[in-house]
Amino acid sequence: MKPPPFEYHRPETLDEALAIMAEHGDQAMPLAGGQSLIPLLAMRLVRPGRIVDLSRVGELQQVSVAEGRVSIGAMARQRDIEHDPRMPGLVRVAVPHIGHFQIRNRGTVGGSLSHMDPAAEWPAIALALDAVMVAASVRGRRDITADAFMIGPQMTSLEPEELLVEVVLPMRTEGFGFAEVTRRGLGDFALAGAACQDKAVVVFGVGLRPQRLRVVEDFLNRGGGTRAEISAVAASEIQATDAIHTSSHYRRVVAAALVGAVIEESQARGGVA
Amino acid sequence: MTVNGSRWSGDVPARQTLCDFLRDELELTGTHVGCEQGACGACTILGDGEAVRSCLMLAVQADGMELTTIEGMGEPGNLSTLQAAFLRHRAFQCGFCTPGFLASAAEILGSGRRYSRRELRDMLSGNVCRCTGYEPIVEAVFECQR
Repeated sequence: MKPPPFEYHRPETLDEALAIMAEHGDQAMPLAGGQSLIPLLAMRLVRPGRIVDLSRVGELQQVSVAEGRVSIGAMARQRDIEHDPRMPGLVRVAVPHIGHFQIRNRGTVGGSLSHMDPAAEWPAIALALDAVMVAASVRGRRDITADAFMIGPQMTSLEPEELLVEVVLPMRTEGFGFAEVTRRGLGDFALAGAACQDKAVVVFGVGLRPQRLRVVEDFLNRGGGTRAEISAVAASEIQATDAIHTSSHYRRVVAAALVGAVIEESQARGGVA
Repeated sequence: MTVNGSRWSGDVPARQTLCDFLRDELELTGTHVGCEQGACGACTILGDGEAVRSCLMLAVQADGMELTTIEGMGEPGNLSTLQAAFLRHRAFQCGFCTPGFLASAAEILGSGRRYSRRELRDMLSGNVCRCTGYEPIVEAVFECQR
């Protein structure tokens, strides 16, 4: 068997899950949809003493809409979000890019955010929409801004005993844009990507975490320019790193071009940029 | 759990993946194990009617689920419509990827929607075939939509 031995917990309630996390702290890893964690276990890149399977915690699967905000439970599956007409426009266009449909059948919103792959779609969506991440532990709940939540590859600001329980997004149905470049069709990892909501502009898959392009946003706030001018500003701001399939130069150039494209797309969708 | 219509209950090691359980414990070796990281699609089976990677699940996570593997889809002399279409179109050569393709295609066809060849090509891109070039696979699934 490829995964290392671990104790398996399958709590039925959030309180039960939080109690296990509180007791075992950094020895315990939550298991959401498993689409990233199971390979990490199989490759023994992680060796947690305990796995806390959250699949039976019904309260984490809820999705609700109120007062212009959409609250997505951390264990909501990508599949359910993809087909939910209550979602913000950016979510609807970005989620079909997450893996293949077989992956979206199991993968979850909270799992993707907590895993924090720099090339993943959800961290970019969260950053572009100024999402609020709700973390819970036995000591209570706290809100974390998307920007403060994501630190780097597989690193978030969650404490060892905390679980991400909910993501809160503003309900925006206009003014969004999303694009990514992959090697092999819709389901592959992004070599570079860009997302925007009105004047909030994000690139992802280019560096150690998604990046808000504040200089580009200032440029747009001062009246903006042509698509080529926007891309030029983006190219000077994007912090790209080298990756296995791509050089930092390639990622910067492609992401900058995508920024121009998504802003044009958002304007065509009635955005205020 | 239910596997191909038969009830199974028992204990499994927590760390055993579902594909290893199916192959090693139930001897259902038609579920093929390729990359073991979710990329190739060879191990795809149906879990509660949805195509899932059996390498990306622990066996214990399938507790209570209804699973269908290639062994539950048809048999020699009594092929499913989809299997017959794969055969007619020569949609396989070595056959390693075929059980996974059939599981993915089963969910696609189960939706009752009619997709274009272009859409099918995208939807089937979660399964890798190194022999056919995909054309006959897309044709076989497209034909079954009629």
